Order: sequence, then C-alpha cells, then structure tokens
Amino acid sequence: MNRIFWTIVAKELLAFIRSWQLVLVVLYSFTVNVYISGSGIEIKPRNVAVGYVDYTGGGISQKILSKLHAPEFLPPRRFVSQEALSRAIYDKEIIVGIVFGPDFEKNWRRGEKSSLNVLLDATAASQAYTTLSYLQNIVLELSRSGMSVDIASHKLFNPNADNHTFMALTELLSVTTMLCVILTAVVFVREKEQGTWDIMLLMPVDPKLIILAKSFSQVLIILSGVVISLGFIVLGVFSTPLNGSFWAFALLTFFYIWASAGIGLFIAAIARDVMQVAQLSILVMMPLIFLSGAWTPIYAMHPALQALSLFSPLRYYIEGTESIFYRGTEWIDLWPYFLGVILVGGLMYWIGFRKIGRLF
Amino acid sequence: MKARVIRAYIAKELIELVRSRFILMVYLLPTMIMLLFGYGIRMEVTDARALIIDNDRSFLSNRLISKFEHSRYFDVSLDTSDEADALRSIKQARTDVIIIIPESFEKRLLHGQSTQIGIYVDAAFPSRGSTIENYAKGVILDAAASLAPARSAHLITINQRSLFNQAMRDEDAIVPGLIGLVLLVAPAILSALLIVKEKERGTIFNFYASPLSKGEFLIAKLIPAFLLHSLNIFILFLWAVYVFDVPFRGSFLLYWGVSEIYLLISIAIGMLISVVTRTQIVAVVLTVIITIIPGFLYSGIIMPISSMSGISQVEAHIFPVMYYNHILYDAFLIGEGLQSGKTLSYLLILIVYAVILLGLGRLLLKKELG
Repeated sequence: MNRIFWTIVAKELLAFIRSWQLVLVVLYSFTVNVYISGSGIEIKPRNVAVGYVDYTGGGISQKILSKLHAPEFLPPRRFVSQEALSRAIYDKEIIVGIVFGPDFEKNWRRGEKSSLNVLLDATAASQAYTTLSYLQNIVLELSRSGMSVDIASHKLFNPNADNHTFMALTELLSVTTMLCVILTAVVFVREKEQGTWDIMLLMPVDPKLIILAKSFSQVLIILSGVVISLGFIVLGVFSTPLNGSFWAFALLTFFYIWASAGIGLFIAAIARDVMQVAQLSILVMMPLIFLSGAWTPIYAMHPALQALSLFSPLRYYIEGTESIFYRGTEWIDLWPYFLGVILVGGLMYWIGFRKIGRLF
Repeated sequence: MKARVIRAYIAKELIELVRSRFILMVYLLPTMIMLLFGYGIRMEVTDARALIIDNDRSFLSNRLISKFEHSRYFDVSLDTSDEADALRSIKQARTDVIIIIPESFEKRLLHGQSTQIGIYVDAAFPSRGSTIENYAKGVILDAAASLAPARSAHLITINQRSLFNQAMRDEDAIVPGLIGLVLLVAPAILSALLIVKEKERGTIFNFYASPLSKGEFLIAKLIPAFLLHSLNIFILFLWAVYVFDVPFRGSFLLYWGVSEIYLLISIAIGMLISVVTRTQIVAVVLTVIITIIPGFLYSGIIMPISSMSGISQVEAHIFPVMYYNHILYDAFLIGEGLQSGKTLSYLLILIVYAVILLGLGRLLLKKELG
C-alpha cells in the first residue's frame, strides 16, 4: 500500500523533472516573477507628478507646495499658464495640477476665505483620491493654527507602509495558487487525454490512493517552490519582516496547497483536455481571488458576497499569511485560518473522489 | 498562396474550436473578468472598522466620535476596554484602526494646552493602511477646525475639479484598463495552445508533410482565433458603456482599429509561446505568467506609469499594454484621438510591435524534424 503510494509520487516527480521547460517556467514564476512584482510596483501614491500655476507672489503657495515632498510627490513643476498645465495633464505627464489664483494670498492674509483650485487627472483614481486628502490635510493644518490638537499616528506592523515586501508576498501567494491548481489539474487530465486514466482506475489499487499520491507529488513541487521563493526572494532580497512563527506559515501553506490541489482535482473532473483546463482554471481562480479580499476588503462587500467568500480558501490563506508575517499573530488566534483551509480542501477532495475516482 | 488549402485549414480549426466547447470560453472568459473586476476593484476604502477608545468621555470627545460615526469611511465601535485588548483585535484582523482619545482631552483643549490623539492603523495591507490613516487624520482635523469657529479666519477651501472623470468614479478609472487586460490574456491563452497541442499529439507531422508554407500555416492557425476574438472588442465595449456607464468621448473607429492591432499582438504572443514550447502545460503556465501579471502591473489600473521609477518604468515601456491603454483611456475619457501626437506615436509603436512579433513567430517555427 505504502509502496504503491511512493511509487506513484516518484513517477510523477520524475515526469516533472524530465520536462526541463516546465522546471524552468516553475522556477521563473517563483523567483524572477516574484522579484519583478515586488520591486516595481507601489500601490500607494509615490512620485505623483504635481504641476502648478502661481499667480500670487508666492508666500503661502510655496509653503503649501513645500509640504508635497518625496517619496509621495515628485518636486512640483511650475507652469506659466493654466493652458500649459491642462495640456500636460491631458498628455498624462501631470496627475495633479494646483492653481493659485491672484486673490489667493490676499484673501488669506486678510483672513477671508480663500480658495485653491485643484485639477486632478481622475483616471488615476487612487492617486488622485489620496493626493486630494493629502492636500486637504495640509490646508486644514495651515488653517487650524490656534488649536493644539496633535495627532500621533502610527502604522502598526509596517511603519513605512512599504509596499515591496507586501507585493512580493502577494505575488508569491497568487503564483502558488495558480501553479498548484493548473499543475494538479493537468496531471490528471493528461492521463484522461491519453486514455491511461481508465487503466489506472482498473488496477487493483484504491483510486483514492492514486489520487492522493498524484496530488501529493504536485504538493511537493509547489512546496519546494514556495521554500525557494521564500528563502531567496521574499526573505532574502526584500527582507520581509516575519513577526510570527515560521512554522505556522509553513503548516498553513502545506494545508493551503492541499486545498488548491483539491480545486485542481475538481477542474480535472470536469475538463477533458489541457485546453479546457487552461480556461477553466482561470474561470475558477478569478472569483476565488476576487472573493479573497485581496482587492476589496471583505467587510466592505455585499453580504451575499461575504457569505460566498467563505468558500475561497485563498481568503483564509491571505489573511492568515498577513497575520503571521506582519501582525505577528499568536498560534491560538490563527485557528480560523487553519480550519477554513482544511474544510474547503476536504470538501474539494470529497467531490474529486466522487467525480474522478470512479470509472462509471 | 494556396487559397484552397488555407481555407480548408481554417475550416478545420474552426470546427475543432467549436467541438471542444471552447467557443463558450472565448466569450465567457472576457465577460467574466470584466464583470468581476469591474465591480470588484475599489480604490476607495469605505466602512473601515474603527475602534475608538475614549478615555475622556466629555462633550468634545463625543463630538469627535460622532464625526467618525457620520463618516462613510468608518464603521465605528466604541470600546472602553484597555489597549492590549484593542491590539489583540487588530492582530486577529477584526479591526483596522484604533483611535485613542486621551484623558482630560476637553480640559486641556479649552485651556489651550496641547493634547494628542493617537491613531494606530493596521498597515499589514500597506496601501489600505495609508488610506485609512489619511481619512482618520482628515476627520480629526476637520473636527478641530469646526470646533474653533472663532478662528475660522485663514480658512482655505479646496475647489477640486477632476478632469475626465468628474465624479471620480472607480468604474471610469478601471473599466477601460480592464479591456486592455482582457484582450491581452484571453486571446493569448487561446492561441498559445494551438500549435503546441499538435506537437504533443503528433499531428504536427501533417503540417510537415503538407504543401503549406510556414507563413500560410500561421495564417490558417491564427485567423480563426483572431476572428472569434474580434467580436469581443464590441462585447467589451458594450459592457463598458452600458453596464458600467463609462463615457465614450473619442472616435469609435480609432478604438476599433487599435483594438484589432492589439488583438493581433496578443495572439502573436500566444503563438510565439506555442512555437517555442514543447508541452501544453508549459505553454499554459508561461502564458498566464507573462500576460496576466504585466497586464495588471503596467496597465495603469493600479498605478500611473508616470509614478513608476527605475526598472519598472523601463519594463512598462517594453510591454504593449501601456501603449494600448493610453489610447483606450483617451478614447473613453478624454477624446483627443489622433490630434494628440502621443496617441499617434503610440499607435505606430503598436503596429511595429505586431509586425515584429508575427515575423519572429514565422522565423522560429520549424517545418522539419528537429
């Protein structure tokens, strides 16, 4: 029994290693790919290009502009006229344009209401939003010069709101999901396509054992990918803080990979050839990612979607991983994530056993 | 040209696509991505779970709390418990921000002494954390300004005018970019398997033995995929304009034309992968990795190209998404069209891109035993 299990695992691993192209692609996804997404992208506003037109003498206006500093903003660029400024916004060279009208400073000095004109390229909505609230805060700060309320603001777990580590980690999680689902599904579908799956089922071996062994081989491959990526890129290059327990993450990852292999199994049960696997996995993975809270926080979703999101194993994995890495959550508070991942994975295998593990 | 053979080949490809129930996916997949992402991505954070610890319980602190309660950005719960408990609830991911109002807040404020309000934001998700922090600061500063009517002099108001997207709708900012993503991913996956499938099954030998030349073979392979996906250009347009209510200010002809060129590029990317790889699984994984991720990162959906620095700035210029999306956003939201020199030059770049990719595919395809 045991021997059969390990033979199948060894056979699948051998098949994987023999295809050097596949090995390369998997390695690329876990290393270079994670590096690129981590190094390049900042979601929070950074280097926002600001332009301004100043019709005043430039006292208060410069004071306001001086608060727009790096790394969030590029040094503000001066334009001679409002037309030139608009032109630059149309060409997407400037995202935020500030116009200080001729009366701006005069009114301010006299203690009257003065107003500031701001032009935003709202096609970059998130940058525009945040810049606007930045400006609003700067201006409020200036006007409140008598009140003495200080705000001591702390960003917990990630004081600089450093996006690199976060993006690298997120990318690692998506790659793990994607590869695990596709590789597992293809392992089964290839046999279906070549007609050898029926023969496997006809053998005097428990089909559950075959299924488990086959998926275990893929779990091993992905797990080693995660270890490599974690060691070299996430912890190595980006030196992501790991405030929680490493073993908690390892264990959660192990269960999660099983759960996504279960999704792969489910896809394999429906698909007939690799082409369908490709399409189905994207079709299935998109909602999974969407419902995981990676883009929209779960509490801000429609209640029906909140309920549906309970079925996305990625939801537990992402939140659990963030908690382990950044929040440094204790083992005892991690149980919902483990429970969720194990339940969803169990459900997937139950369906998989019934659909693909039977000849008729 | 052997028109009859090519026609027969195209017919065969089409029949195969239809039989494999694949045709459903060709139309289902783009629409699904569009709807999910279009409704799904929100840059704005609303209903952040705020926990306010009020150590003062005075009139002013109550007014501050009610400011938070009336803000749609916060979903406030009051807590009288200690800070350790509050921290634990952040660690359990049940709270996003803690706001601590100090003791004798009101007294010190009225006496003109300085007090300090503490904000603790969960920055495990950095961008979300920064946004929430900014909102919280804004609410407090706003409250402070309104509490001091006597000093309302020196008040500066901001007249904000958003160009191209007056209501600052997330849909307007995201949906056009999604078209660029969808038209990159879906056609590439379709065409990535067309040739490698034959290699894996061994039917590629039919082509080796056939009188078709390499170029003709590629034409026969790509035309069905190209035609099928061309319909998506219109479908996606309809979703954008009628479901998401994104305005369309440019010329439809330009949108259509540039989309067809872009389609050609993404099909050519898939074909190139198909020519190079040996097994279908490699082709699938490779296509997904090299289209979805750059498609997202460099589309301008998440961040504008002008804010990128160093390598990513260069990388963004290597991928075709950036050029197409610039023209797309122009067509939907701005409507300058070819009058802007930038649009014209980007259009030319896309054409050159398509020609190079197709030429490369023809160069690398082999028509004999390796």
